[in-house]
Amino acid sequence: MKSAASAARFDWPLAVAVVAITALGMLNLHSATHASRPQLYLQQVTWIGVGVLAFLAAAALDYRLLLRFAYPLYLAGIAALVAVLAFGRTVNGSRRWIELGGLSIQPSEFMKLLVTLAIARYLQQTPAPEGRAIAHVAIPTAIAAVPVALILRQPDLGTALLLFLVFSTLMLLAGLRLRSIVTLAVLAIVAAPLTWVYLLKDYQRTRILTFLSPGSDPVGAGWHARQALVAVGSGGLWGKGWLRGTQTQLHFLPEQWTDFPFAVWAEEWGLAGTLVLIALYLFLIARALVLASQARDRFGGVICAGVAALIFWHAAINIGMVAGVLPVVGVTLPLFSYGGSSVVTVLAGAGLLMSVSLRRHAL
Amino acid sequence: MRRIDENSDFRRRLGVLSVAVAGVFVALALRLVYLQALRSGDYVRRAEDNFLEERRVPALRGGIVDSRGRTLASNRPSYDVYVTPRFLADDTLDRLLRLLRLSADEADAVRERVRSRQGAAAHRPLRILRDIDRDQLARVETERPPLPGVRVEVGTHRFYPDGTTVAHAVGYMNEASPRELEDLRGEGYAPGDLIGRAGVERVFEPHLRGVPGKQPVIVDARGAAAAPAAIRALELGHRLDAMGSAEPKSGHTVALTLDIDLQKAAERALRAQASGAVVVIEAQTGRVLAMVSKPSFDPNAMTGRITHEQLLRIEKDPYRPLIDKTLRENYFPGSIYKVIPAIAALEDRLIEPTDRILCQGYHELGRRIFRCPHPHGLVDMEQAIVQSCNVYFYRLAERVGMDRMAEVARDFGLGAPAGLGIPGEAAGFVPTKAWYASSWKEGFRLGFTLQAAIGQGNVKVTALQMALVYAAIGNGGRLLVPQIVRHIETAQGRVVQDFPPLLRRRVSVSDETLRFLTRALTGVVESRKGTAFEARHTPSGGLRQPHEPLEIAGKTGTAQVRGRQAGRPDRDHAWFVAFAPTTEAAIAVAVLVEHGGQGSKVAAPIALEVTRAYFRDQIVPHATSGFAEELPDATREDDDAQEGARSSPAVVGP
Repeated sequence: MKSAASAARFDWPLAVAVVAITALGMLNLHSATHASRPQLYLQQVTWIGVGVLAFLAAAALDYRLLLRFAYPLYLAGIAALVAVLAFGRTVNGSRRWIELGGLSIQPSEFMKLLVTLAIARYLQQTPAPEGRAIAHVAIPTAIAAVPVALILRQPDLGTALLLFLVFSTLMLLAGLRLRSIVTLAVLAIVAAPLTWVYLLKDYQRTRILTFLSPGSDPVGAGWHARQALVAVGSGGLWGKGWLRGTQTQLHFLPEQWTDFPFAVWAEEWGLAGTLVLIALYLFLIARALVLASQARDRFGGVICAGVAALIFWHAAINIGMVAGVLPVVGVTLPLFSYGGSSVVTVLAGAGLLMSVSLRRHAL
Repeated sequence: MRRIDENSDFRRRLGVLSVAVAGVFVALALRLVYLQALRSGDYVRRAEDNFLEERRVPALRGGIVDSRGRTLASNRPSYDVYVTPRFLADDTLDRLLRLLRLSADEADAVRERVRSRQGAAAHRPLRILRDIDRDQLARVETERPPLPGVRVEVGTHRFYPDGTTVAHAVGYMNEASPRELEDLRGEGYAPGDLIGRAGVERVFEPHLRGVPGKQPVIVDARGAAAAPAAIRALELGHRLDAMGSAEPKSGHTVALTLDIDLQKAAERALRAQASGAVVVIEAQTGRVLAMVSKPSFDPNAMTGRITHEQLLRIEKDPYRPLIDKTLRENYFPGSIYKVIPAIAALEDRLIEPTDRILCQGYHELGRRIFRCPHPHGLVDMEQAIVQSCNVYFYRLAERVGMDRMAEVARDFGLGAPAGLGIPGEAAGFVPTKAWYASSWKEGFRLGFTLQAAIGQGNVKVTALQMALVYAAIGNGGRLLVPQIVRHIETAQGRVVQDFPPLLRRRVSVSDETLRFLTRALTGVVESRKGTAFEARHTPSGGLRQPHEPLEIAGKTGTAQVRGRQAGRPDRDHAWFVAFAPTTEAAIAVAVLVEHGGQGSKVAAPIALEVTRAYFRDQIVPHATSGFAEELPDATREDDDAQEGARSSPAVVGP
């Protein structure tokens, strides 16, 4: 590949969108952490460095090589999830991390990409021109169900839900017969009460119930959501200014660097800031979907669609919960939330997009 | 089945998905427009409610001092423990309660209070314990890991340096009840505030308390005030300025008429007794110099952190430590009451002082026998008082009659609260024929009159009332309003309210009668047959030299106790009431020893010791000039109906 040619093919819109969101995310994280937890900011800078390396590696690598490694990587991810349940570090009653040489790694984050790769691999190998019957759905369902079950055991409702949504999106894209859709829907309806009773923890049930009737617990579980709403609404049109959000700087916003960075952003930058940020995410997702349709093969197309789904569901759910239209589930905002595994996953996913983009015309 | 172009199908679905994604983002954007453009005013206010707080700056409570400016109640620093329920970790409260070493009951009470803080209140610090000691402080402060949501703050705590000595008069404080907070709304009380609960602390609460200031602060989610640098960084200074602040105003100092030295002397004089009361008033002004009620309680313990157990122990004590026996308890006066029938008889000229009556040790009325301690032989009125002959007064009572006796008693202020202004003052009781007719099944009988003449039957008095009666005899017939507050001054010492002596009324007794009574009462202590002679002339009477000069006139009394009371000895109450010196009396003293036995043996020595202390310590009399005007008649008529309920300083005010 000639460098002039690769520069011409370099996906500038994709790169600019990723860099812009990452930069705004760092600006925002500084505001959220500078007073109380400055070390988090430095850690995140380090993780972004790791993420950029992952981005470059994924972009440089021909994604088609991954066809061979998709299943082994997936199995390694499953092994990591089992290891988490066995040796993981427990924080706030939930076992999500494993310690590796002083670093805390959350394998369930990487699992979102690995499941996408595995399903892409399966769909590439198993074309179904007449729409997918239920038998063709069984294997991808199993690919998603095993990690979802392991993650629910941690328990981590948000990540499990995310994985389920990414999987569902990919299956819809892959084309299902009406009968398959109905069957899956019936299965989901049957599984929901079982999940409620056996897999969800009390605090998760409380969060959902609180969302469904906000008046029932104004300060317990509903407190977070209410303070986030106050932060967003009080930001007004133009915001209170960087580092001047009272909800943020006086710590009325809980978990402002993990679950609620969007509230910090909304408070300090106002409606102007939130619309710009939403536009950036929309642009990034749209770019990923365009790449999905332009990819030279099904494998690349599904990978792009999977990364698009990942970013979409994360952003939509996180912003939706901050804006008070969804219950508070622990779903991060891509490139805005503190969290090493999350940022590395998203940047690696963006690297995959770039890899597909660079190779789409080489037919 | 029709063959589908799989790739175009995939693209078609991607197109649908793109529209869906755009739709979701547009919906979110609209929601943000709603929140940040349309509703933002509401949320700005709610954000301000979060961080703007108007803090109350407590005012320093005024002191209580004695007549020479010596401190009886003041403030000292205290360490108070606060918890913010919202920020407690699961085990924090248990760890904290263990460190504080609270009893199981106390710990449960604290847990309950913390649990009851729900909603927004869970974010506000709650004071769970005030005034912890140094050991508790050390354990809490050095605890590792630190206790989240727990703070120790320095506040002020009421301090009574003399502890039990002036407990009843000065009173104590405790936490205002929810009901009181409701009643006092607008006065700036807050939950957890202490409020004067008894004595001067209670009556002068509005003066002592001061006016709390206010200080707007920017607080963070934990309720901690933001540092000035943080306020600058957030550009919130103008919000604080807009709210405005006010300095607290310290409370006024209440200067009492009490003299702590004499108070201690009176307390010391009661040292051998389990239960009793001593009142010393200035005979010319009615100002109270000493007021001791025994057993006492520790106002330092009562203020703030007494445990339920301790309180129960105090309340179950058969001698009732919380009751001020100088003015809240009614007693039979016994023989100290005999001056009343004597005055009635002399004023009405029903008998000449020189007329003699034969005492054979008893008096027959119909089939009933009324007894005298021993046969006194032929006695005139002076000797009847000196030797405390009952028979003489039985016979006198037959001539004077119940209602005339009651009239004189009421003229001397009996049967109505003396009007010191301390809440709960007892009125005593003066029976009349009409009362017996309406309250007793068999109606009035002459025997009641005979019993009343010797201070038994249904006559009831307080120690303070009797001190005022004897002061009136000693000061030429002026019944005074007792006062315990001399003046109120600002923290800087400027007098804002003065309480001059108050005359209640001039009693209707001739100087001749008063002179006679003074002579007879002097005989009680000075004549060989006098009931208090022995007490006066032995060293145990508080005199180093038996014949040391001490002019004093008084009367012993031994009041029968009706019915045995649980936990108390089966003995009569001992009385001695006196004034000194015998001309131009300076003080009047009333001593009551519950279950002490004979007044002559038990109460008289105590009164003599206290009187002696007064003259030895040369306690300077308060100025007698500047009497306030006599109370209007209307007030006097109200005595019976309302004085018991009076608790405001207006009673002692001008």
